[in-house]
Amino acid sequence: MTTRTANVTWSGSLLEGAGRIEDVGSGAFGPLDVTWTSRTEEPGGRTSPEELIAAAHASCFSMALSHGLAQAGSPPERLETSATVTFVPGTGITAIALTVRGSVPGLDEDGFREAAEAAKVGCPVSKALASVPEITLDAGLL
Amino acid sequence: MPRIVREAEIAWEGTVSRGSGVVTAASSGAFELPVTIASRVGDPEGKTSPEELLAAAHATCFVTSLGSELARAGTPPERLTVRCVITMDEVEGVGHRVIASAISASGVAPGADAAGFAQAAEAADAGCPFSALLKASATVTVDARLEEVVA
Repeated sequence: MTTRTANVTWSGSLLEGAGRIEDVGSGAFGPLDVTWTSRTEEPGGRTSPEELIAAAHASCFSMALSHGLAQAGSPPERLETSATVTFVPGTGITAIALTVRGSVPGLDEDGFREAAEAAKVGCPVSKALASVPEITLDAGLL
Repeated sequence: MPRIVREAEIAWEGTVSRGSGVVTAASSGAFELPVTIASRVGDPEGKTSPEELLAAAHATCFVTSLGSELARAGTPPERLTVRCVITMDEVEGVGHRVIASAISASGVAPGADAAGFAQAAEAADAGCPFSALLKASATVTVDARLEEVVA
């Protein structure tokens, strides 16, 4: 069992106030400022829940794909993944688009796409986000 | 309503057991962080993980929802603190799953009593889009505590 922790504070109103991701259990980042304006308009250098979800999903997917490829006997040299999260205030997170390009010696495009599809279904963050209406995958070799 | 798009990227080198990646906040540029599988499932050793990023996302999403609910109730908060603990466990036959997200919220909201604060926290849990997503596959718990202001 693994637990991971984050601490966030907020001062003032939603529109004029400001929040801060003060720290996380690992100590890897923080403090990071967050505001409603930077969440819903231009980021202006500030992260947001949606960007953090994108980071969680891209990193989880990459680990699962790397693992799956190695299990199948064709470990990757390099994977480049991006996750794009679409958020509609009042509705929620409506879509996540995963894009991956990989350098995998000895594997063809079909084999790579199949492994990427399995990682998309199997990674813990994908399972946690399974109720997002649309999760798409674009996979190809570098 | 406008569509808001946020993107993150990761470059991963090598196999999962010995390899490592760097995850970048592509939309904002707010962070660039190394990740490994060993630090994800074992001692973090200063490195973040997908689950820690989810904890940060959920805490941030929840704090904005709670602030909105308190304002809607006529008791806007002066200050809110939210802690989120995400638990991942190995589930028989399924592999690793995010099984729980535990939110602890406290704050100062002039005019609100303990019951009103608890009610706002419940409404925030119902309204936070990320709580709704996680509930489909994990247990989300909310513990809310109004801070007493010493005059």
